[in-house]
Amino acid sequence: MEKVGIVGYYQIKPETDIQMSRPEMIFYATRGALDHAGLKRDDLTTVISATNDYYDGKTISNCFTVDAGGAYLKDESKVEMDGAHAVNYGLMRCLSGHHKLALVWGASQPSTFYYSCIRVLENDPTFDRPINLLNDYTAAALGMRAYMNKFGVSVEDIAKVGVKNHKNAAKNPLAWNEAQLPEITVEDVLNSEMLSDPVTKLMHAMPCDGATALILAPEELAKKIIDDPVWITGVGLCQETYYLGDRDLSISVSMEKAAQKAYKMARINDPRKDIDVVELFEHSAYEELILAEALGLCEKGKGSSLSSEINGEIPINPSGGNIGAFTPCATGITRIIEAVKQIQGEAKGYQVKDANRAIAHGQIGFCAQNNIVYILEGGKK
Amino acid sequence: MGVQPVIVSAGFSEHASKRSDVNMAELMNEAIEDALNKCNCTIDDIDCIINGNMPAFEGANIPELWMTDHIGAKNKPFLRVTTGGTTGGSVAIAAYYAVASGLYDTVLATSFEQQSCGSTTVGLSSVALGEVSIYLELGYDFEKLRRNMGAGAAIGIAAYQAVNYMRRSHCTEEDLARVVVQNRHNAAKNWWTHLKMPNYTIEQVLDTPYISYPLRFGMVTPASDGSCAMIYTTEENAKKFTDTPVYVNGVASVSNETAIVTSEAGGCGQIDPCEQLGARISARLAYEQAGISFPEKEIDYVEVYSPFPNQELMWLERLGLFEENTAHLQYREGVTALDGDLPVNCSGGVNSTNAIGASAMERVAEAALQIMGKAGNQSPKEIHTAIGHGWGGAINLITLSILADQPRRKYKGGI
Repeated sequence: MEKVGIVGYYQIKPETDIQMSRPEMIFYATRGALDHAGLKRDDLTTVISATNDYYDGKTISNCFTVDAGGAYLKDESKVEMDGAHAVNYGLMRCLSGHHKLALVWGASQPSTFYYSCIRVLENDPTFDRPINLLNDYTAAALGMRAYMNKFGVSVEDIAKVGVKNHKNAAKNPLAWNEAQLPEITVEDVLNSEMLSDPVTKLMHAMPCDGATALILAPEELAKKIIDDPVWITGVGLCQETYYLGDRDLSISVSMEKAAQKAYKMARINDPRKDIDVVELFEHSAYEELILAEALGLCEKGKGSSLSSEINGEIPINPSGGNIGAFTPCATGITRIIEAVKQIQGEAKGYQVKDANRAIAHGQIGFCAQNNIVYILEGGKK
Repeated sequence: MGVQPVIVSAGFSEHASKRSDVNMAELMNEAIEDALNKCNCTIDDIDCIINGNMPAFEGANIPELWMTDHIGAKNKPFLRVTTGGTTGGSVAIAAYYAVASGLYDTVLATSFEQQSCGSTTVGLSSVALGEVSIYLELGYDFEKLRRNMGAGAAIGIAAYQAVNYMRRSHCTEEDLARVVVQNRHNAAKNWWTHLKMPNYTIEQVLDTPYISYPLRFGMVTPASDGSCAMIYTTEENAKKFTDTPVYVNGVASVSNETAIVTSEAGGCGQIDPCEQLGARISARLAYEQAGISFPEKEIDYVEVYSPFPNQELMWLERLGLFEENTAHLQYREGVTALDGDLPVNCSGGVNSTNAIGASAMERVAEAALQIMGKAGNQSPKEIHTAIGHGWGGAINLITLSILADQPRRKYKGGI
């Protein structure tokens, strides 16, 4: 694969109830990314958006954000999945040789809808939906229980992931205010509101309003735009079966397959040694452990003993991850941006030392049904 | 840089107003099997699946998640692309880029719509009226709002567009009826279509009541259930699957502002919805990629997305195939008929069959089959270059694919 560089990005500070309309929020994110890269809208050749009509409460919501998203009279399309999937489409457009600069943005305003209710519409409409037992929380509970039972992991071990991510979020100025908890303890996590046994509120990602955007450019052009572009050297995408009963929820088959493809593309043999920092999209704390194991960073079931703090062996989610700020449709792009910041040394307050190669991840579906993995590399070393 | 993508197969399901014999996944499966069987391909040969449909019409969000096993997506890369009416065209373009980028070799592009599962009218009305609560909060008068935004959903906006077009071109209602009759006659000869009316006449069309002037009940598109699937691959791989590969030489999907007063009433909107700047720029881009300088001479076959007859006339002009305001004259002379100089919508078009999410892809699929010589209603003329077009959103989204039986002439990606 030819290299494609990330030359600019911008994140809106996520908020519980943002005082902006949706197009306004999108405009600030896309304009911010253009300003960050020192480009003008005229330089763009294509725009890919990540939104969801159900989240926006509007059919064909993307036709009203053409102008706000910078796509007026530009070659434009929309991916109705996570932002990370939209980046994959932007990447495909850059690699095809037809496009020079691709702007990718994602946005949603969960303050205007009940996220976990809307997600019930993702259920199989003939069986799961009428029974109405499967939702965001219960799916996480089933997954967490399966993981704990299979590997003998305790609730405390999983709560620790919540503690780490909330503490990391406190250091990240662009994390969600309500998730920035510097003094949090394992007891706090376990004693917070029970969503669905054993998942408690502080170990689950809670949605908030936000928008993010980034700009992709092919190798030659990227070098002209900025001095230290971060390169996408590998990408892997995989979807596994839907029915939770057909899956072993204690492992992630799709993540393994996606990671293998991305590693092969980026020529990574030993991820433990070669990867400096990891940004994962975890809906719930236990997912971070399963996903890290599927990435080959540790043995199956040993995720909780991995040293994943900011100054640890393999830092995972130094930004606070998805628990630190979960903006549906935008969060996959945020993960990529946070990994880029680490590589460029711009993550002030939560910088990982000498980070040059990172993993960023996006997902969609209950219990991480569809996963996408990016390998990002800087120019150091 | 970049790989030349090739279409090797296209398949359809049976279309009808109610396909209650199948569910969404089974409906999709029909088209996928048809596409795979036509080119000796199995689902194991597929490296990536891209799908789309109108999100709101079935009341199912990202239905591909639970359809995974039924559409063969298990343990494969999967992307969902949706852009309203252009969804099918956008999926086809995404499949093009998936192959062109070199990331995937063989890509299955699918799209479907089962409108009998939900309510299309409810889905569509939220296109026009979704932001009403915001306007009311701002103190906007509801009467004013209705006048400004009432032209939102399909028929409202099409009627508005039709009046504008008739004013420009001086075409008559009879001309609109002629377009409909041609489409329905064509549909009768194609196996998968919905409204098959071999004996429909202009008088019968003009005898039906108005839905919204100048569009009559007999002129408008039906609501169908159906699906479409296509297989894109590299030139090298295509040899395995077929003797008649169709090269995709140009794609474009340039978007304009929404045709109503824009989302926040801050923009100017498109004053004239039949101006279609987005379509003109899309056409220029795609023709440039395909190395076509004289579309009116070089293109042999056209599939345009025209739920309403005035749009068929308008798109043919905006895409540079006829002089401005003359398309209806060409229809009078039979230029666009099955055996004419420039056959248009021999499949019966969207006017006869409209499974919305799939419609724009069916245009590309039928254009490809005409080049292969395998279409249900094959034109007697030899087809070398063909267009598959789509429109969607608030008539501001456009998709365009240019297909040919020869690879593109040295396109190097511009300057």
